[in-house]
Amino acid sequence: MSDKEGKIRGFFAQFLDMEAGDIDSGANLRDDLEMDSTETLEFIVALEKEFSIKISDGEVTNRHSVFDVVKTVEGKLG
Amino acid sequence: MNGIAVTGLGIVAPPGIGKEDFWKNLREVKDFTSPITSFDASAYPSQVAGQVRKLETGHLSRRILKKMDKFSVMALVATEQSLNDAGIDLAREDPYRVGVLLGNTLGGWLYAETELRDLYQEGRDGVSPYNASAWFAAAPQGQVSIHYGIKGYSKTVVADRSGSLMAIGYAVRVIRNKKVAIALAGGTEAPVTPYALLCCSTEGSLSRGPYRPFDRERDGFVIGEGAAIVTLEDMESARSRGARIYGAITGFWSSCDGSHRIMPDPNGMGLAKAIKKTLDSAGYRPNDIDYICADGAATWIGDLSETRAIREVFGDYARELPVSAPKSMYGHLLGASGAVDLVSTLLSMQEGVILPTINYRTEDPECNLDCVPNEVRVKQVKRALIISRGRGGINTVLAVERS
Repeated sequence: MSDKEGKIRGFFAQFLDMEAGDIDSGANLRDDLEMDSTETLEFIVALEKEFSIKISDGEVTNRHSVFDVVKTVEGKLG
Repeated sequence: MNGIAVTGLGIVAPPGIGKEDFWKNLREVKDFTSPITSFDASAYPSQVAGQVRKLETGHLSRRILKKMDKFSVMALVATEQSLNDAGIDLAREDPYRVGVLLGNTLGGWLYAETELRDLYQEGRDGVSPYNASAWFAAAPQGQVSIHYGIKGYSKTVVADRSGSLMAIGYAVRVIRNKKVAIALAGGTEAPVTPYALLCCSTEGSLSRGPYRPFDRERDGFVIGEGAAIVTLEDMESARSRGARIYGAITGFWSSCDGSHRIMPDPNGMGLAKAIKKTLDSAGYRPNDIDYICADGAATWIGDLSETRAIREVFGDYARELPVSAPKSMYGHLLGASGAVDLVSTLLSMQEGVILPTINYRTEDPECNLDCVPNEVRVKQVKRALIISRGRGGINTVLAVERS
């Protein structure tokens, strides 16, 4: 796991009040992590602030998996 | 004993959290109001409040807590206590036969105020997306129903300060009508916030302290925060499962004065009507009542009209009928106050005492009821009335009977 991926996964864990090791890469935000649209919106805003990035509409939704989100954010961090 | 059984008590209030602490501390008869510490209240005319400290929220995750205002959190804590006290595991009940009926006055103002401040300081990105679901009046009902998977007939009652007593009255009707088998009923209020305190102050009902109902020097009430939620069941069902029954709710009525946007009818005729109809609905005569837990708002007209209403209904018997306002010890919990009064009245009945009206110093000849001044009185109470009133002349009365 790269440093960037570790930071993103750590942020996920902190946001969801879970242990990082308990978050499966394939977990779906809506079905497995029970993130509704409101919580996903909060998550996106928090991601943008934490990593100083801009996430466009549809790039991160609660239909995505943890893996999808990590890759999207990693891509923006360059 | 007929009526709807009260089998569980949940309480989060300035004197204590949980019925044991609440009752133990109340019995010591102290003033639990204190200077506001959660924000700088020095510019406000009223700078004291009954405040809830050290709220244990162990059964709720941080992820859940950040989505709620304090008034919902207190409702969840009180509900958990109430269900545990009643010995009910909702996972074993039909969720469509369980209801939640809660009252409050203000909604979740701390959440709303904070997010409004952030909106103006940081723009729209600074506002929590939970604001929309955290501040509104029905949020506690929603959060309790989500937490326990409750799906039966439920309602949020916004009837100013009489909201929770009215919610309990409606819960009784819902059980009587067989719409649900179990109802969680009561109220919650978190008014110790800058904007909420400002609104209460400008309305002109707040005291500079102390809170002294029925006293000639009264100058209004002191606000308090907290929640009280009782578990209600059909009497026969409660008995058949061997539940501890604190008492029965035997009567309920509500009326409006239709006279002024803030103040009640000075003659108390609307309240007198509600008291008479409550007695009728319970099958009581005036002399059957041993005690009244008063609204005791300590406003000039409020106490005067409450006294006149009681005199109108009880006649000469009003001179010997104890009428106290225990909320003088911990503040007026607005929309949660009636539910707290029900809890304190039931616990008083269990122990055979009447809680006093504290800070009482100077008799008001116009309010010459026996307000049980300053000290606990030993007295067996079999039947009691609870009065709760709201701005605009809302009157709610509940009749309770000891088990």
